[in-house]
Amino acid sequence: MSILLDEKSRIIIQGITGKQARLHVPYHLEYGANLIGGVTPGKAGEKVSGLPVFDTVRQARDELGDIDISMIMTPPFAVLDGALEAIDNGIKTLVILTEHMPVRDTMKIREAAKDAGCCVIGPNTIGMISPGKSKLGVMPGFLYSQGPVGIVSRSGTLTHESSSCLTIRGMGQSTCVGIGGDPVPGSPFEDILERFRHDDETKAVLMIGEIGGTAEERAADYIKRVGFEKPLVNFIAGVTSPPGKKMGHAGAIISGNAGTAESKHAALKAAGARVASTLEEAYDMLEEILRAQGFVPTPKNVGI
Amino acid sequence: MRMLEYEGKVILRKHGIATTPERVASSVEEALAAGQELGFPVVVKAQVLAGGRGKAGGVKLTKTPDELRTAATAILGMEIKGEKCEKLLIAKACGIEKEFYAGLTIDAGEGRAVLIFSTEGGVEIEDVAKTTPEKVRTLHLSSLALPRRHVILEEVRKAGVSGALLPKVATVVQQLVEAFFATDCSTLEINPLAVTSEGEVIALDAKAVIDDSALKRQNMVQTDSVPANVLERRAQAIGVNYVTLDGKVAIIAGGAGLAMATMDMVNFQNSTSASFMDLGGGISDKNMAEALRVSIATKGVQGIVINIFGGINNCHEIAKGIAEVIDTDKPAAKIVVKMRGHSQDEGWALLEAHKVPIIKYGTTRDAVQTLLAGL
Repeated sequence: MSILLDEKSRIIIQGITGKQARLHVPYHLEYGANLIGGVTPGKAGEKVSGLPVFDTVRQARDELGDIDISMIMTPPFAVLDGALEAIDNGIKTLVILTEHMPVRDTMKIREAAKDAGCCVIGPNTIGMISPGKSKLGVMPGFLYSQGPVGIVSRSGTLTHESSSCLTIRGMGQSTCVGIGGDPVPGSPFEDILERFRHDDETKAVLMIGEIGGTAEERAADYIKRVGFEKPLVNFIAGVTSPPGKKMGHAGAIISGNAGTAESKHAALKAAGARVASTLEEAYDMLEEILRAQGFVPTPKNVGI
Repeated sequence: MRMLEYEGKVILRKHGIATTPERVASSVEEALAAGQELGFPVVVKAQVLAGGRGKAGGVKLTKTPDELRTAATAILGMEIKGEKCEKLLIAKACGIEKEFYAGLTIDAGEGRAVLIFSTEGGVEIEDVAKTTPEKVRTLHLSSLALPRRHVILEEVRKAGVSGALLPKVATVVQQLVEAFFATDCSTLEINPLAVTSEGEVIALDAKAVIDDSALKRQNMVQTDSVPANVLERRAQAIGVNYVTLDGKVAIIAGGAGLAMATMDMVNFQNSTSASFMDLGGGISDKNMAEALRVSIATKGVQGIVINIFGGINNCHEIAKGIAEVIDTDKPAAKIVVKMRGHSQDEGWALLEAHKVPIIKYGTTRDAVQTLLAGL
């Protein structure tokens, strides 16, 4: 198993005729993602890499049958309408890659999705990948490999970094989910952790956070509340950031006592998670955990 | 984007909330003309983003043109917490009976807006929340539908407002909620929300922060973040996030998380960061070259670690930008590149041809250690 996405997942892209989408569609097809079509209002009848384009999600559904996941790659101000369209058409998983989305729109989508039992990944994310099965997003598939580690991360490039380093060390991944770098994500850490908790293939979880906000503290509350049974290793980026400086992600700023690495480390440790001060240390911890479960890593280089 | 008081009040008035009669002045003459027009006494208020301007001497009550001239002369050009005051707000003074607090902000953890109301206004709401938490009421709001009037009435009633004031205050709070959502605010606050001796409810101050991602649809232009530093301006011009720090190693990474993790590693290896740069996504070779030039020009730089994934970026484009700088500028600072992902083979080959040390399969620690060993 894996979470949210596998080789059977039937996927459409909203905004499939855009420049970034056209660039990335072939990578998905190459990887084996079950991409069945796309939607751009006014462009029905066109094809992108051989995939049919429809005017509306409803039309796509009528023509193609059930749709499991929609990946949204429209410009920021168009995401809200597209996401509500997907939710209204009964799609249960959305991946929103778009960055610079107004937070008001994200909050609306999050609320509407919750009411409809839909899981939203993003916005401002690299997407997600279940290595060896399917991928949805901008990650290079060859940096990832199938295996027992579930990864959930606020940072896109640290998902590439950790997955590729784990792959090189012989520890593959069940599913890697980028929840996105915005202060208000569609799904917080705990929603993804809950799915890893019930996934047989996931034997250990790597959670990658950042300074700023309280997302990691809330995840710690969840871990404690449910008594999270699987080994969980945490890494927080930005431990040495000077206070008051905005480090790229809007969320990554320390103000007062809130959002410091110390507060996050303390909360996560108290909840029973392991805390690594560097990613290298996190890989060591994961290797120790997996070896104790009888897993033997087979190192390999990526892209060869 | 943070707004000045007078700009925030424009938003409030647009949604029906009353303020004192007031004028903006950029010179002492304009301030005097405003005083004559409004009629004395008037309050002179420094228009700066920093808090605590009252304590810093940036707010003065004046009863005569002479007093106004003295106050305006003193406050215009005054520096408050490093920020120069370039505009004044001249507001007609009024008698105040009571001061409330009303504000909205975003609770990122909950993913919802939160309405905050208190009858203890005119002071820092954080202090009220600390000393008398029962006097601060908070209510999480739906983003899909505005709260109904009875919900607001109940909040304000429970906060301790009664009689003829209750419906009046509830109306202002309702208008504030509408303004918050309609204007894409991440914070909108009235403190104090005053009850005048005539029984009117008016906003005596306004603090508004607009979501940067929504400025375009609000027809607003960013005005609060023009960097003073030339290098920061150059970085902003090509859309990369760059912060100068005080150390030896310049960090260039694709993605804020990777950039922070690289900075942490530099510090953990007992060195220091000269600058922090997040390239963001989809950078061109030309902009990569400029990004590298900005980093090379950073004060105190001895070495540069470039940490890149070809995901939304492309390794070949990045390598072309680096190669151009090496060919034309022949930089003295040592450069180490860790890079893998889309078009990695082309990128690696180009950097190898330029004799740049490349970390292909190693970790960020390997890259930082390789750089530091050569400094």
